[in-house]
Amino acid sequence: MIHRPAVDDLRDVLQIALRQGADFADVFIEKKSVNGIGCEDNKIERINSGTDIGAGIRVIAGESTAYAYTNDLSLEGLSHAAKVASHAARGGAASRSIDLTRRTSPVDLVIESRPDQVAIEDKVEQVMRANRHARNIDDRIKQVTVGYGDVVQQVTIANSEGDYIEDERIRTRFVVHAVAADGAVIQTGYEALGGAKGFEIFKERDPEALAQAAVDRALLMLTAKPAPSGKMPVVMSSAAGGTMVHEACGHGLEADLVQKGLSVYAGKEGQAVASPLVTVIDDGTIAGKYGTLRFDDEGTPGQKNVLIEKGILKGFMHDRFTAGKDKRPPTGNGRRESYQHKPLPRMTNTLIASGDEIPEKIIKDTKRGLFVKKMGGGQVNTTNGDFVFDVAEGYLIENGEIAAAVRGATLTGNGPEVLRRIDRVGNDLGFAIGTCGKDGQGAPVSDAQPTLRITSLIVGGTGATERDDDDGQADVPVGAGGNSANGGGGAGGELRRLSASELLNNPNGRIRRL
Amino acid sequence: MSQVAMRELARQMVEKAQAKGANQSEAYGLDSKELSIDVSKGIVETMKLAEDRGIGIRVFQGGKMGYSFTSDLSDKALEATVDRALANARWTAEDRFRELPGKAGQYPDVRTYDPAIAGIPVEQKIELAKTIEATAKAVDPRIKIIERSSYADAEYTVTIINSQGVDVAYQGAYCGGYAYLVAEENGESQTGFSLSYGLSFDGIDPQKIGKEAAEKALRMLGAKPVSSRRAPVVFDPYVATQFLGVLAPSLTAEAVQKGKSLFAGKKGQPIASAEVTVIDDGRMEGRILSAPFDGEGVPTSRTVLIDKGTLQGYLHNTYTAAKEGAASTGNGSRGSFRGTPEVGTTNFYLQAGDRPPSELIGEIESGFYVTEVMGMHTANPISGDFSVGAAGLLIEQGQLTRPVRGVAIAGNLLDWLGGIDGVGSDLTFFIGKGAPTLRAKEMAISGA
Repeated sequence: MIHRPAVDDLRDVLQIALRQGADFADVFIEKKSVNGIGCEDNKIERINSGTDIGAGIRVIAGESTAYAYTNDLSLEGLSHAAKVASHAARGGAASRSIDLTRRTSPVDLVIESRPDQVAIEDKVEQVMRANRHARNIDDRIKQVTVGYGDVVQQVTIANSEGDYIEDERIRTRFVVHAVAADGAVIQTGYEALGGAKGFEIFKERDPEALAQAAVDRALLMLTAKPAPSGKMPVVMSSAAGGTMVHEACGHGLEADLVQKGLSVYAGKEGQAVASPLVTVIDDGTIAGKYGTLRFDDEGTPGQKNVLIEKGILKGFMHDRFTAGKDKRPPTGNGRRESYQHKPLPRMTNTLIASGDEIPEKIIKDTKRGLFVKKMGGGQVNTTNGDFVFDVAEGYLIENGEIAAAVRGATLTGNGPEVLRRIDRVGNDLGFAIGTCGKDGQGAPVSDAQPTLRITSLIVGGTGATERDDDDGQADVPVGAGGNSANGGGGAGGELRRLSASELLNNPNGRIRRL
Repeated sequence: MSQVAMRELARQMVEKAQAKGANQSEAYGLDSKELSIDVSKGIVETMKLAEDRGIGIRVFQGGKMGYSFTSDLSDKALEATVDRALANARWTAEDRFRELPGKAGQYPDVRTYDPAIAGIPVEQKIELAKTIEATAKAVDPRIKIIERSSYADAEYTVTIINSQGVDVAYQGAYCGGYAYLVAEENGESQTGFSLSYGLSFDGIDPQKIGKEAAEKALRMLGAKPVSSRRAPVVFDPYVATQFLGVLAPSLTAEAVQKGKSLFAGKKGQPIASAEVTVIDDGRMEGRILSAPFDGEGVPTSRTVLIDKGTLQGYLHNTYTAAKEGAASTGNGSRGSFRGTPEVGTTNFYLQAGDRPPSELIGEIESGFYVTEVMGMHTANPISGDFSVGAAGLLIEQGQLTRPVRGVAIAGNLLDWLGGIDGVGSDLTFFIGKGAPTLRAKEMAISGA
């Protein structure tokens, strides 16, 4: 267990942090145990376990934030970090008394099988089962990588407002990645499973089912033809995951970017920013999902927040700092990768709510276009709303029927423009998991959408150029033009689907930047 | 923590692991201090001061390897970490190529540490970040938002001790400045950025950073998509570097040995246009990723990977080298004590050519100059397929004309390498990777 400093000691540490005058101070203490198992080349190559302990102390004075962290959890170590942070953020406010009270959350997380109580051999067995199955399906499968990871994170959060939180977060994930080759053509397929759950994730889908899905996708891509390029209608399956919602509006609705004027959605509360068919929700309370949390990393309970309701922008995702600036309550979106980072407004589980149409009918009514069965990762420049995402499995739609598989497609569009062009919404909903990157911090998230149709999107492929003559929709004038790149950490964010190598080489699941 | 203390803890870990039955063991200690300062509207928005330290231990039992790490350096935690590494080793597969390097005869003399950085008062560092912001704003009134103007530095010590006689440590330090900003006109926003990292504080030119970021954003105002076409494409050094970043994993022996590299089985063959030479150099003078030894204690080296278009070899760590009967190229890289050494790059770059960028552009009648790509991380380094969002400037009659956004460029990395018909003289590094301006003969551009 974490050696939790006494509540009185934490109060003293906060007093030190406020000593030079400041508006707010908090301390985030973490003990994280991680396990990662990697299988490649038909054998268990790596098993990595670790313990990360540390504390981050934040001091806010006006518009300035100072953040200091240390691995030294002794009272001396915490006091030193508090002193350092207090000097860096000198404010004018007088010091005040702090009375720490333990807070509770309405969100409940039920872990059936704690991964820290499961023997290594049982974890190894799940990995080997996936590997064996994947390798027995087809001779064209040349390589299989399977990754398993679990995290048990214990945190203590205390702040100068008097909140005191003790929390435990448990997450488990599993990834299968297959490489298929036929002559000179090499293609890949992957499938991932994970949640704010324990070892019981395998009740949802067993390792063989995941292996089968990854292999099927890799084999399918061997025979796929190059994706067309140009503008065309796009139908996205509910199984595709919600990369589009994550990039097209999720990041742009994070209040820090909005307040800095770095979001196309800034100043548009109450206005129509999407088709009336579109309702966007960020919900940190959905049982067992990868982004679900009892408390965020500032101690605010997890919440369900309706961001866009029937096309109308309702609100933004806040942490304490941005909420204070807007004089609103925080929304439970203050997240940080670890004690090494200050919190930022981040997504949890983000979704477009389902509608009432039958998915098959949406495809049938589409004469020609692209059907996206599975999305990969994506990236957005929130300043102008331009985003891209990768198609992991896609098909052409011809005369309302799903036709040949295509490979190598990326879809690019502009957030507000694309949300307006959603003209059909299915009655289904499917989730996917990923690691969201923002400001160099990775956070576990999930995303979801029903089957959707977008009247036109730019497909970037190497195949024949498409002319989208029957795009009846007038082009939405784009106020914000855009460069598209994200200069290594500028306004915006990106979503990565979990890769096995990330799990193998870095059980924290952290995105390395340098 | 002092260097001596970390060395002592690392030594104790190795001794413990050996006493508990490991055949070979290795402790890797990292001790670092970081400072970052973000300035906005002339005030310090965020100042971050960090101290991070920890140890990771690799143990080998026969050909089995286990790993564990901790940032809790109490005796109890260190003992538990050794036990966990040994427990993990029991369940990994036996592999006779798993071993640790021995003591090297000599390590290259690489300058990695400038003690002056730590001595510079924090006020002067804040001033540097403020200068970046002020310079950028002064360029043009249309520079409206500075998302970030930053200064950052770090000081660290790496310690590696293993049971085979490696007992080394080195100290490093680096610093840099960064700007990311927005230009606005008629309700339209465009972003620009610039960065510069180096080994010395005097090497950072805050005015250059601010000016460059501002100019990049300004020239994109008014950008519009173009129609789909096939045309010559010129990549600025930043975008060329991002492409190089996708190629890097395929040039590791690990990817080759596992059948996950598009370069597998192509040693000695032409895989790129004759203008392309790609090098990894862990000893390069003045670069922040240079070091005397890699994450396993093996001396770093200069490795020519692609020489005038021909594939010369791959990057190795101790394991991949043993498997191939080769010598490690000193590319056993690790980002921290939290993970095992993989095969990675050090200073990885595409060698400069002799053509000024303006000449490469000047020869194009109609083409696209790409200054930004988006979604590069979705490119597939195994199949080589990529399709990225792109923005930049149109080239007409040899001149950069109007700005372009919202298009996609797609292709395969092998075709991309083979299609390079011009290499600029302007090699530019972005932290650990670098490239000059590159020109591709023809590519598919998807537009409106």
